[in-house]
Amino acid sequence: MEEKPISQQESLLLIQQMIQTAKKEQKDDGKGWIIWGWMLFTSSVLTIANLHLKWFNTYFFWNLFGIATIVIFIYETVGVLFFSKRIKVRTYTKDLFERLNAGFFISLMFIIVAINTGVPPTKGFALLISLYAFWILIYGSALNFKPSVVGAYITWGFGIAALFVKTFEWVMVMHALGVLFGYIIPGHIAYKEFTKLHRTEKAEIV
Amino acid sequence: MFKELDPILHSQLRLAVMSLLISVKEAEFTYLKEKTNATAGNLSVQIQKLKDAGYIDVAKQFKDNYPQTTCKITAKGVEAFELYVKALNEYINR
Repeated sequence: MEEKPISQQESLLLIQQMIQTAKKEQKDDGKGWIIWGWMLFTSSVLTIANLHLKWFNTYFFWNLFGIATIVIFIYETVGVLFFSKRIKVRTYTKDLFERLNAGFFISLMFIIVAINTGVPPTKGFALLISLYAFWILIYGSALNFKPSVVGAYITWGFGIAALFVKTFEWVMVMHALGVLFGYIIPGHIAYKEFTKLHRTEKAEIV
Repeated sequence: MFKELDPILHSQLRLAVMSLLISVKEAEFTYLKEKTNATAGNLSVQIQKLKDAGYIDVAKQFKDNYPQTTCKITAKGVEAFELYVKALNEYINR
C-alpha cells in the first residue's frame, strides 16, 4: 500500500476491507471447546458405564478428569509464561474472554469444592451444567456465533432437567447431552468455519 | 453543502491504519505493516502524522530484547473517524 490520494468510493471500500481484516482476529478456532467438550463428554459416558459395570468407585473418571485438567492447566500456564508468541494485536473481545475464563474457572472450582463438602453431586452437576451454559452464552454472543447461543439455551434446558432427575446416572446423561450441544457441536462448527476462512485467506494471497 | 473530508484521514495508508485500529484495542507496528502491505519507512511516517494529529497513541518499549511499537486509537481519533465516514456517506449518496 502506498501513500496516494483516493476517491470517496475507494475510501469506503478500504474501510470495509480493513475492518473485515481486523474482524478475523476475533474468530475462535473452536479447538478449546472441542477438547474441553470431549473431555467432559467422555467422563460422563464412562461414569455411566462405570455405574453399570462397577469397574471402580463412582467418581473415578471425574477424579481422572480433574487430574487431566490440572496437567493441561500447568502445561498451558508454562506455555503462556515461557514460550508464548508475541501478541501482535489485542482486541476488546479477547480481553473480555480472559476475564470471562478466569471467572468461569473460579466458579467451577467453587462448585467442585461445594460438591466435595456436602452439596449432593446430583445438584452440583446441575449447577455445573448451568455454569457451562452461562459461559457459552457470553462467548457466543461476544463472537456473534449463533450455534453457541442456541447451544447455551439447550444446555440450560438439560441443566434444569438435571435438577429434577432422580439418579446420578440420569444427571450424567443430562451432563453429556448438555456438553454435546453446548461445546462439542458448536466447537466443530467453529473449527470448520475457521479452517475455511484461513483456506480462503491463503488462496487470496496465492 | 458538503463537509470537507479530513485531509489527515483522506489518504490510503493513514485511512487503512485508522480502520484497523478502530476495530481492535491496540496493535503492534508489525501487525499494521503486515495487514496494509506498506513499507516500514512509509508506515512510520504515516503513523507519526496520525500521532501528531492526536488521532493515535504510540507506545515504544523493549520486550524480550526486541523493540515493540504499539498503536492505539484515541478518543479524538474515533471522533475524527466517525465524522470522516459520515462525510464520506454524504458525498457518495448525493
